[in-house]
Amino acid sequence: MSVPKRSEYSVVILGAGIIGLYTAYHLARAGVGPILVVDRGFLSSGASGRNGGGVRQQWETRATVRLARESVEAYRHFGRDFGYNIWFRQSGYLFLAETEAELARLRPVHDLVRSEGLPSRVLDAEGVGRLVVGIAPGAVVGGTYLATDGTLYPFPAVWGLYEAVRAQGVEVALGVEALGLETRDGHVRGLATSRGPVATSRVVNAAGGWSGDFSRAAGLDVPNHASRHEILASEPMKPFLDPMVVRPSDGLYFSQTMRGEVVGGLTLPHPPGTGQGMSNSSAFLPRMAAALVRLIPRFGALRVLRAWSGFYDDTPDGFPVIGEDPRLPGFYHANGFGGHGFMLAPSATRRVARAVMGETTDLDPSLFGPGRFLVPARPSTAERLQLG
Amino acid sequence: MTTDRGMVERSAPRFWFEGRSYEARPGETVLDRLVQGGLPNLQRSPRYHRPRAPFCGIGQCTGCLVGVNGRPTVRACRYVPSDGDRVVTEHGWPSRRFDLFGGIDYLFGHGIDTLHGFRRPAFATPLYQRVVRRLTGYGKPPTAASAAGLAVPPEIRDVDLVIVGAGRSGRAAAAALVAAGIHPLLLDRRADATPVPGAELLPSTTVTFLPARAGTPEAPFELLGYAEPARGVLVRARRVVVATGSYDASLLFESNDSPGVLSGDGALALARSAGRPPFRRAVVFGAGERARTIVERLGDYIGAVVAPGDIPPDLVRAASAAGILLYPRSLVRSARGRTRVRSVEIRARSDAAATSIDCDGLILAHRRLPNGQLFFQAGARMGWRAGTGAYYPIVGDDGTTSVPGVWAIGSASGTLGTASVGSGERLASALTGRSLPTSPLERVRTDGPNELEGYYRELLRPPRSGRWIACPCEDVLLDEVEKATRIGYRGIEVVKRYTGLGTGLCQGRYCLPDALLLLSIAEGRPPSEVGYTTQRPPVHPTPIAALAALDGAIGLSEGP
Repeated sequence: MSVPKRSEYSVVILGAGIIGLYTAYHLARAGVGPILVVDRGFLSSGASGRNGGGVRQQWETRATVRLARESVEAYRHFGRDFGYNIWFRQSGYLFLAETEAELARLRPVHDLVRSEGLPSRVLDAEGVGRLVVGIAPGAVVGGTYLATDGTLYPFPAVWGLYEAVRAQGVEVALGVEALGLETRDGHVRGLATSRGPVATSRVVNAAGGWSGDFSRAAGLDVPNHASRHEILASEPMKPFLDPMVVRPSDGLYFSQTMRGEVVGGLTLPHPPGTGQGMSNSSAFLPRMAAALVRLIPRFGALRVLRAWSGFYDDTPDGFPVIGEDPRLPGFYHANGFGGHGFMLAPSATRRVARAVMGETTDLDPSLFGPGRFLVPARPSTAERLQLG
Repeated sequence: MTTDRGMVERSAPRFWFEGRSYEARPGETVLDRLVQGGLPNLQRSPRYHRPRAPFCGIGQCTGCLVGVNGRPTVRACRYVPSDGDRVVTEHGWPSRRFDLFGGIDYLFGHGIDTLHGFRRPAFATPLYQRVVRRLTGYGKPPTAASAAGLAVPPEIRDVDLVIVGAGRSGRAAAAALVAAGIHPLLLDRRADATPVPGAELLPSTTVTFLPARAGTPEAPFELLGYAEPARGVLVRARRVVVATGSYDASLLFESNDSPGVLSGDGALALARSAGRPPFRRAVVFGAGERARTIVERLGDYIGAVVAPGDIPPDLVRAASAAGILLYPRSLVRSARGRTRVRSVEIRARSDAAATSIDCDGLILAHRRLPNGQLFFQAGARMGWRAGTGAYYPIVGDDGTTSVPGVWAIGSASGTLGTASVGSGERLASALTGRSLPTSPLERVRTDGPNELEGYYRELLRPPRSGRWIACPCEDVLLDEVEKATRIGYRGIEVVKRYTGLGTGLCQGRYCLPDALLLLSIAEGRPPSEVGYTTQRPPVHPTPIAALAALDGAIGLSEGP
């Protein structure tokens, strides 16, 4: 546990996960300070230490494709920039289609991704079988594959950023809980913490699954909600699977990490909210195991070492929330990443930092801005594909 | 003929291993058979390719993993072979005896730093990744054929009362309950668990707790697991008695992973298998009840007893009668010998002079720890006991824990040795509401002198040399743990993520107890403040086929 050293900060960031730390990094590099990052847990105790490490550039909109592409570039140089090897391995992301109709729905993403200059490919069943050896015959009709997507090892990314921001003079107070905002004249004036109040005129909410709870406690009606997602790891094996494999129909995903473990999860309809804690449900292990075995029968002889869970921070439209809250000047959102925080962190937080510094960003406010939920929802004209 | 559990063979099965055919007696495991030719080095360690041999003998460590018929990471000490099985070692190229990659151990004298290393030059990244990836992993991925035979119908039981563990306390409780008209279901990991008349026993069965369904406190507890080799097991029970027992801990010293270093459990189990111990002259470390048992049973093969503190008179007498040398108040500094322990270097406490003892085995019998995973998972309140340096459930005399419906008995609950029987009987009295005769109850001291902490404080003083393996499953070095502390990563949860310690097949069983003491010393705070790692399901590595078979038996339920 640590205590904030000052009574006043230029910026206070809630959450020492990948989004909070990266935001602190960009701000400190731009000369903003002093900065305080508070987190009620230990380093990597939230979603940044609980995710499957996937980083993809296959997205449904041009804006997110570009953000993801920029992030991939940043992760390629993470080792040089931060001194930690995150083992970012560009061995591709494979989206599976079980029917021709599903394959047809993947096509617009493929077309968009290609139009951004990325080498996406549409594969038939045989092509999928070459990438995923041992896949059950008839399990898929094909899929889309982008070879420059990849996976990384999340922990060292957190260590690297933590050490980098501390070297920049950022204070990271762990085991310190943010209790609430202090406002005056409709503007942020400070933050109450479990270790006493600190004065600040800018607070960034990067609390991941807990961000919605915090905003609402501060009187701001936000639509973010935490959803529990479960994940498991197998015993480590010699390499046999290169890409991250995703099945959009049920949210099944898995990859083989650098250490050889198969790490993956499956979406189950858990009720929203953080109240349920980060334990595992009874259903997860049997259901995930059954999904894996049906798709790749030889997984049956592999052993599960452990399962755990974490919170996605979901928004109704599946896009993150980035920028100053129009209802409360000085309160900035860097949340709602919906399980994609690691994929977008390096680039998205650059925009968060710009917003905090009062600069304009290239993000379309109707897609990313906090104000988008304050206007009546536009009727959706097309069925939108949720890639997972 | 194979029974549906695949455990019992009527005729003697013959299995193949390295071009030779071995005949196993009915019920004998692969390791039981192989160890008759001496302690086999079946493994290479994952990072440094150090020779490894069986350590625990009870299906927990990573010292006896083999492949069987294309199925990886099968524990030879648990696997009862079928006729025609092909058993292979999975590490070492070209062979387990001569492994070219063993050179890594010499090349990387200061360890392989996968956190900071392999970053430059950037263009070499894909090459590094290919090489490093090839070198990790416990075995080759399973073949389709090896998985095909694993799909069997699951075992699903709805019972009033289940007892997990058919050891002394579990059997005592079961017998007393049966006498009082309650017929519990008994589960035990061992294939050869002893049954109790009137109580059904599922042998070779390993389970884990799942969270109770939210909002329905009267709903039964769910225990999920498997029976060897891969039958899914789901037990729903209104009452769960945890009698999972205890095990012999590991110890830190230079080359503490050397073949021939055995836990007390391992020494006894392997001696039983082969009819004689797999060593000629071993050193025993420890001076408690466990050390005495080993001296009594294996005395002819014990050359010396080394103890961190004083050696009690009864052990002195037993050892002297057998001509065993005694080294009280001593530190084990190192084991020598690469493919087999040849000598152990010890040093008297507060003394610089070292003594070398020639031996071909080192038996760790200094510290017995509770198998407490189920208590953590059930959410029972736990208390730290400095005497053994471990967490125990906080229990009443009748075994009640803080979780209604979950009881703790035997050495898992902190009773000592034969008192386990007493704890089982008391539980039965409480559950039946009758006053049954009970044996005495003696519990682990709550406030011991914390001998081990002082021991490690002295042992870890520099200078040190060689490899000190803090986590054998993942080849994490003591230096790496200390470095994490030095640069500011505090608490076991963070150090676990930073170093990988405790993330291997044994899920921290052997490394965490020492790591808590080490971090306590390094961080300058009591071990209870260093924290504890979450005990994640399924706790024991469980075949995906077994879990998959249970899909459909479980509705979507919620954690608390």
